[in-house]
Amino acid sequence: MEEASGRRSKLTIRSEREREREREREREQYRSSMLQCIFLLSDSGEVILEKQLTGHRVDRSICAWFWDQADSLKSLPVIASPTHYLFQIVRDGITFLACTQVEMPPLMAIEFLCRVADVLSDYLGGLNEDLVKDNFIIVYELLDEMIDNGFPLTTEPNILREMIAPPNLVSKMLSVVTGNASNVSDTLPSGTGSCVPWRPTDPKYSSNEVYVDLVEEMDAIVNRDGELVKCEIYGQVQMSSQLTGFPDLTLSFANPSVLEDMRFHPCVRFRPWESHQVLSFVPPDGQFKLMSYRVKKLKNTPLYVKPQITSDSGACRVSVLVGIRSDPGKTIESITLSFQLPHCVSSADLSSNHGTVTILSNKTCTWTIGRIPSDKTPCLSGTLALETGLERLHVYPTFKVGFKIMGIALSGLRIEKLDLKTIPPRLYKGFRAQTRAGEFDVRL
Amino acid sequence: MFNQFGSTAETLSKASAAVLRIGTDAHLYDDPEDVNIAPLLDSKFESEKCEALKRLLALIAQGFDVSNFFPQVVKNVASQSSEVKKLVYLYLLHYAEKRPNEALLSINYFQKDLGDPNPLVRAWALRTMAGIRLHVIAPLALSAVGKCARDPAVYVRKCAANALPKLHDLRLEEHAPAIEELVGILLNDHSPGVVGAAAAAFTSICPNNFSLIGKNYKKLCQILPDVEEWGQILLIGTLLRYVVARHGLVRESLMLSLHGLESNGFYEKDGLVGDKKDGDKSDSFDANLVSLVSKCYIEASFDSKETTSVGDNEDVKILLQCTSPLLWSNNSAVVLAAAGVQWIMAPLEDVKKIVKPLLFLLRSSTASKYVVLCNILVFAKAVPSLFAPHFEDFFICSSDAYQVKAHKLEMLSLIATTSSISSILREFEDYIKDPDRRFAADTVAAIGLCAKRLPEIPTACLNGLLALVRQESFAGDLELVDGEAGVLVQAVMSIQTIIERDPLSHEKVIVQLFRCLDSVKVAAARATIIWMVGVYCSLGHIIPRMLTTITKYLAWSFKSEASETKLQILNTAAKVLISAEVEDFQMLKKIVLYVLELGECDLNYDVRDRTRFLKKMLSYKLACHEPTEDSVASQENIAEHVVEYVFGRKLKPFSPLNLHNRFYLPGSLSQIVLHAAPGYEPLPKPCSFVVEEHDQLSDSGRQREAMSGLNGSQESSETVDEDGSSEYDSESYNGSDFSSDGDERNDANDAADPLIQFSDIAVSTDQEELRSKRALDLWLDEESSTSNQTPSALDRNQSSYAKISIGDIGSRVKPKSYTLLDPGNGNGVKIDYTFLSEVSTVSPLHVCVEVLFQNSSTEPIVEVSLEDEEAMNVSDSAEQTLVGKANASYNNVPTLIPMEELSCLEPGQSAKRLIQVRFHHHLLPMRLSLHYNGKKVPVKLRPDLGYLVKPFSITIEEFLSTESRLPGMFEYTRRCTFTDHIKDTRMENGKDKFLTICESITLKVLSNSNLHLVSVDLPVASTLEDATGLRLRFSSKILSSEIPLLITITVQGKCTEDLNLTVKINCEETVFGLNLLNRIANFMVETSSSAI
Repeated sequence: MEEASGRRSKLTIRSEREREREREREREQYRSSMLQCIFLLSDSGEVILEKQLTGHRVDRSICAWFWDQADSLKSLPVIASPTHYLFQIVRDGITFLACTQVEMPPLMAIEFLCRVADVLSDYLGGLNEDLVKDNFIIVYELLDEMIDNGFPLTTEPNILREMIAPPNLVSKMLSVVTGNASNVSDTLPSGTGSCVPWRPTDPKYSSNEVYVDLVEEMDAIVNRDGELVKCEIYGQVQMSSQLTGFPDLTLSFANPSVLEDMRFHPCVRFRPWESHQVLSFVPPDGQFKLMSYRVKKLKNTPLYVKPQITSDSGACRVSVLVGIRSDPGKTIESITLSFQLPHCVSSADLSSNHGTVTILSNKTCTWTIGRIPSDKTPCLSGTLALETGLERLHVYPTFKVGFKIMGIALSGLRIEKLDLKTIPPRLYKGFRAQTRAGEFDVRL
Repeated sequence: MFNQFGSTAETLSKASAAVLRIGTDAHLYDDPEDVNIAPLLDSKFESEKCEALKRLLALIAQGFDVSNFFPQVVKNVASQSSEVKKLVYLYLLHYAEKRPNEALLSINYFQKDLGDPNPLVRAWALRTMAGIRLHVIAPLALSAVGKCARDPAVYVRKCAANALPKLHDLRLEEHAPAIEELVGILLNDHSPGVVGAAAAAFTSICPNNFSLIGKNYKKLCQILPDVEEWGQILLIGTLLRYVVARHGLVRESLMLSLHGLESNGFYEKDGLVGDKKDGDKSDSFDANLVSLVSKCYIEASFDSKETTSVGDNEDVKILLQCTSPLLWSNNSAVVLAAAGVQWIMAPLEDVKKIVKPLLFLLRSSTASKYVVLCNILVFAKAVPSLFAPHFEDFFICSSDAYQVKAHKLEMLSLIATTSSISSILREFEDYIKDPDRRFAADTVAAIGLCAKRLPEIPTACLNGLLALVRQESFAGDLELVDGEAGVLVQAVMSIQTIIERDPLSHEKVIVQLFRCLDSVKVAAARATIIWMVGVYCSLGHIIPRMLTTITKYLAWSFKSEASETKLQILNTAAKVLISAEVEDFQMLKKIVLYVLELGECDLNYDVRDRTRFLKKMLSYKLACHEPTEDSVASQENIAEHVVEYVFGRKLKPFSPLNLHNRFYLPGSLSQIVLHAAPGYEPLPKPCSFVVEEHDQLSDSGRQREAMSGLNGSQESSETVDEDGSSEYDSESYNGSDFSSDGDERNDANDAADPLIQFSDIAVSTDQEELRSKRALDLWLDEESSTSNQTPSALDRNQSSYAKISIGDIGSRVKPKSYTLLDPGNGNGVKIDYTFLSEVSTVSPLHVCVEVLFQNSSTEPIVEVSLEDEEAMNVSDSAEQTLVGKANASYNNVPTLIPMEELSCLEPGQSAKRLIQVRFHHHLLPMRLSLHYNGKKVPVKLRPDLGYLVKPFSITIEEFLSTESRLPGMFEYTRRCTFTDHIKDTRMENGKDKFLTICESITLKVLSNSNLHLVSVDLPVASTLEDATGLRLRFSSKILSSEIPLLITITVQGKCTEDLNLTVKINCEETVFGLNLLNRIANFMVETSSSAI
């Protein structure tokens, strides 16, 4: 009797587990690989090329569906279509569209598409419809190398370069002359096997060089009262290394405490940063982005922009003054100011005492100043005519400011030193810095 | 002249463009078909082949179907040039599924390439081979993957890991355990690159097989920082799922913060709270929402006891430690995944470390920004105080996309605190002037939300909003700009939201709003204001005095209103009348009557309906002269109550919680699209995964299950009855043991060496004898012309070979039995099935299957029957439309000749029934539904390839001539080892060793398939020990096509050791042949491995 009851309890355990398994099997019906297909669309919605990633083919009619959607849906990065989930990014007029049918991290798809766009524009020297079409074989080969069965395979640009040679003048000429030039490498890049997959095993250079660039972008918002609401720096440490062998580098900052937050290239070891805020790493070969960082709550922008607008009885007077607020010690170059004229403006007559003003047909106005002259304050002035019936302007444009300063990092971050564990012969180290405007908005 | 110049310029620019495009593949893309591609493919120059392939790819890129070139392209797979090879692979993968037979031609080259010394070639071959989605080559691909999983090159192993989901995707259930085993091997790899890919494979193949993770958990955690970024994303998720299943949630974490929150003194000592001095507790976090979120994350309801704590659980501690540096990763997806782990598992006070990394993600591409914001919003809803100090990060830039702006606004209105609200409101003021009016309207709505959350600020807001209403109504008047109306409507709604909290103190605002009525022209806004007139008509002492005037105005404007507004005027009129004071009553009654008259002849029938309804309802009011006059009739009394109830009711404050609160795991697709995407799984039930060492008894089954998953057997044995197990094992092998003792039986895979047990088993029931004899008889009867041909075939060779007799083999042939339903699953009903060699009476395509029902429960079972499940699969849920392609095989569900129903099965009784089945595909299982006791259970009947053929009796000469007509691509060979004979030769000393080998091989083959033994060639042995040269020939015809299929088994090796068998199949139907070959090779090896 006891045994019987024991068996029954065993049976129920079993059946529960079986049910679980059955459920799992049912669930697995839906499981398949991650990304199923990547489409590249031109700015007119034409499919430039498609790359099917798995056996589950995705018909290209999905692109037509996508293109026909209303703007409010079409501009979403993640779209649930009736048959697939779509991820999209738009880069230089080309839409990269990826499809999946199953749950997967959406950011993974988006980041991957960004990575593809980066690699392609690096290979082709830019991105546009013609470039992609002209080099479609390379695009195919790259995509095939970058993703396997919907899961990213090799995305490290340095390794990709070894696998598939970028098109260059020499190979082009060679292909014209001989009619035959393969851009597919016969051998596996050595980096793929090592514990530092971002680096070829044994590069050799006669002269060893390593350059460190601090490239900073200033994000700022000045509100309508002329108050600086937000001012922060988004910076990157970019490196270019051509070092023989297997170098082990350490980079330290004089004032790491200014850093609000940071993100690292995979080569950076986390431990030394956690304990002493020192970057210790084996660099990739060539150009790469070592880290990016943020410095918040800056007190000042190098430039001031003072816009004024008065509107009365259907006409507005605009005047904008631009000048140096706090001198960074270096010349501020390529100053530009651009803004979108409101819809209700029917015509604009703007002129400046320095630089050039252009107004495009889509009502984008750009004022190219260049450098601030020493003798006068650049000023943009003119009138805007409102559409008939409007007395006053009730919406106001936002000015986007652009500038560049070479030789200085506005965040104040300073590199203390760059050390190599084993110093190779003829080593040359170089440091540079520059700051440019990022999202610098001045509201009117 | 100018014209001429213009054309020259044009040609010049064309020429310069052409120069720039020299050397690129531009011309190939533009006119891929300007030359004849076919001869190029056959060219002997690599460059021409290359060009042809590029043209084909260009056509593919442009969406043309060029699969007709398949055979020619496939030939080029043998090319030595890496570029040609790569291009061929690209082409092959695109079309392989469409042209399966031609794709098979390439398999040999892949096999060859897999042995190439260059790892890149090996990897390419593997990727392509696994990518060709053909069931036929799946076994080959699987063995290739198995080989590559042990390859010295990391890249190849990585590709092997990536290939596993491709094979899994074919849904070959017999390979599933082998695939999972490979996942386990690759997860254990020492190279981080491989582990990352293996984690991806794990997620898509067996996300709940936690025993694979459990074995390597610590190692996986340690290797995590070195894994490639893409692998990290999935590995993080996997580790989290494992820890939850193994240890449950963390007691100190946010998810369980409801338990013992007050005792923690969380509010007092915690640094999380942004503005402690405000003392606004509801600000720090929304406990209800948090518990809702945590409930949504987890699959099943869980016991709060099933928790753990960071302090004393090493696994949790390691997980948190190894994921926290990943918050610094360069890859946004990794950061979000790591943040998700901290959010769910980290102790409350550590959760804030995810804030800065998440905010940093906002400085990336627009698409990422949007996804990150969607996730941050959930975090902020649950714990607004986390993000409250960082409100500046959500200020809007002019370059943000609209969706990003909208999410940032929502964020700002969520995290505003009394100290930050002033700066936030100032920002909002700026936004209202933004040229994007949709965004401005959203801003106005956000102001309303802020004011609702923070009771201190409304006055300032209200003035601004009123000013806005005035200004907007002026601008909206002109209706020049789209979206202007939206701003106005939102402004009125926001004012209403604020007033709602405390209408009495805002009486003046209401009055001002009423005053605006004349200038407000947007119908929706007017309707809202008019609605407010009705709601607040008896409020305070200013409004009632204005009421008559307002109502007059409304009546006056009624004709020119939009229907939306008209409806509100009617409602308001009714409300006003009901709450009217004595002195105004007569006046109001007149106005209302006037409005009702107007409404009755309106063009819009909604308005007419409403009017009639109101007229009926208000008839008692309209009839009397004084508002307070008592109605006489009771019926009217009821009407009065109804009217009071409908119109006189005060507003109830409604819950601020959003109704669409559905939460999915952070970072998931489902969280963005707000529905569960196919394949989405919440976290497993806490502590649902138990590791075996805790409790022998209760966990042994689980352990076995884990083991069986690894060992590759489909079914796990539940029997813990140690005494009986060996017996059951042997019985189960025989497959014809139908003793109804009610115990479970193992699958043949678990069985030991059959021959030994055969001789060991003394007792076998009558039934068994009967059955086995019948099977044999059938086999013999059918081949009546050559009955006993086995010996005769031997006789023919007798002159040179030793005389042997294996005539008695027939009695020992035991067809294998499979389990259709085990008693655990079917409440004591146990169903096995055996394929019969009998030929179907219905059609040559049908296979006879004998089904044995056994009742091992204690109650009788009635009305047992098996039916085709097809009808049910037609109407499948909507979700399947999304995955439609994967389920295409549903259309192929074969037909079934059903059995006669079993009316009753007593406990312990067993019964046999015959069904005839036509399998549509020789690999896909057939779905049946089993009915008993009025219940329905789905079961799967798997085809056995060995019984999809029928014996075909031919003489040895015919055999040889047929064989010679099927060379080359119709011939496949495979090698395997065979060990069954070893024990036999050792045991039965008296017998001839060759004979024993012949016997055991024949027995094995005939027990597993329906073949005809044509001849046995014995070698002229140099030594008695060497069995090399022994050759057995079998013949059969494929059921469906009557195509002959010849099998030759050649033996190599010594009698007393493992034999190497070479199995060769000659058949025109290559696909079937190859599959059967694999099946034979599998069962030949199968038992020998389990015998050890």
